[in-house]
Amino acid sequence: MNDPSKLDPPFLKEWMANYVCGVLGLDRAAFSTADRFDTYGLDSVEAVIMAGVMEEEFQVIVDPHRFFETPSIDEFTAAFTAPAA
Amino acid sequence: MPRVSLVVIAYEMARELPRTLLSLSPPYQETDADDYEIIVIDNGSRIPPRQQDFIHLKANIRLLSCSTQSPSPVAAINEGLKHARGSLIGVWIDGARMASPGLLRACTEAAALHPRPVIATLNYQLGPDLQRISTAHGYDQTTEDELLSSIAWPQHGYRLFEIATAEIRGGPLGAMLESNAIFLPRALWDELGGYDEAFQEPGGGVANPDTFVRAVALPGTQLIRVLGEGTFHQIHGGLSTSTQERAIEMLKEGSRAYLRLRGKPLVPVRARGWTFDSRTRAVER
Repeated sequence: MNDPSKLDPPFLKEWMANYVCGVLGLDRAAFSTADRFDTYGLDSVEAVIMAGVMEEEFQVIVDPHRFFETPSIDEFTAAFTAPAA
Repeated sequence: MPRVSLVVIAYEMARELPRTLLSLSPPYQETDADDYEIIVIDNGSRIPPRQQDFIHLKANIRLLSCSTQSPSPVAAINEGLKHARGSLIGVWIDGARMASPGLLRACTEAAALHPRPVIATLNYQLGPDLQRISTAHGYDQTTEDELLSSIAWPQHGYRLFEIATAEIRGGPLGAMLESNAIFLPRALWDELGGYDEAFQEPGGGVANPDTFVRAVALPGTQLIRVLGEGTFHQIHGGLSTSTQERAIEMLKEGSRAYLRLRGKPLVPVRARGWTFDSRTRAVER
């Protein structure tokens, strides 16, 4: 598939929030998708692993560098699912 | 009968393996040669290491060739585990990793702290940064040789820490993906079934993290992190250390393979576990 614009942004946002909370043992109810990845301790290794899981789950190519360019779930999902210019 | 076995996997490491074995030898580790054996499994090098090249180390070394051919070291590790006679077995998935001088004694002492210990040593990489990054700035084998000379290695083994970079970015108690010298009692290796030979990727993919995660998850095991010692990776064109892009791609592919195999994401071990500090012999539970 590899067309991220076909992903539903709210669904992707929720998926990522659940993934991060599951991996880091965070309370989803207290977690904000606006927070930067590094503020809750998602390190670069875990970011690359998450990219691999997303590729497997959604059949899209995920460049882990994008987590650093758009360093929150809100920013990432907005940029990732935006139609290609 | 040796009390401890070390299983070291080598592939095209003519430069690195001699240093690794020197770092595991009795004089360097200040241990009795009869207490442990070193089993080197060569995984298909064009020119395999020779026994006579290591006689001067006065170590109990067995050099074997892996009976199967695979770019993955996993089968070689499992062969090494079968040959191992010690009641405590440490596995080096990457024979390019030198040890600090007290690593063997520290792991042996740490293993005595619990009936089902998973002993994790910390990974370091020689050089000013992680090698996948420092290679982009000119770090190479020549630089590394000069660095080792600058600290008078092997006379001053602990000075390795001065010229190395820790792999765990969150400090020694941070999230840990793997340990490249992991020690388990023989019974736990058997219970674990060794390394999972489903990991057939070059370098084994994430077989080493998988083993670590599974070992820590075994019922009743106790993770013990050894502080003050470590293994130090020499640059040799390995898959996860040669370039940043290659390292990222390898880990991402490994993450996908793990998810397909295990049906869940690969999650680094965040449990702090116990610590054993080799400098003070202090145990924190």
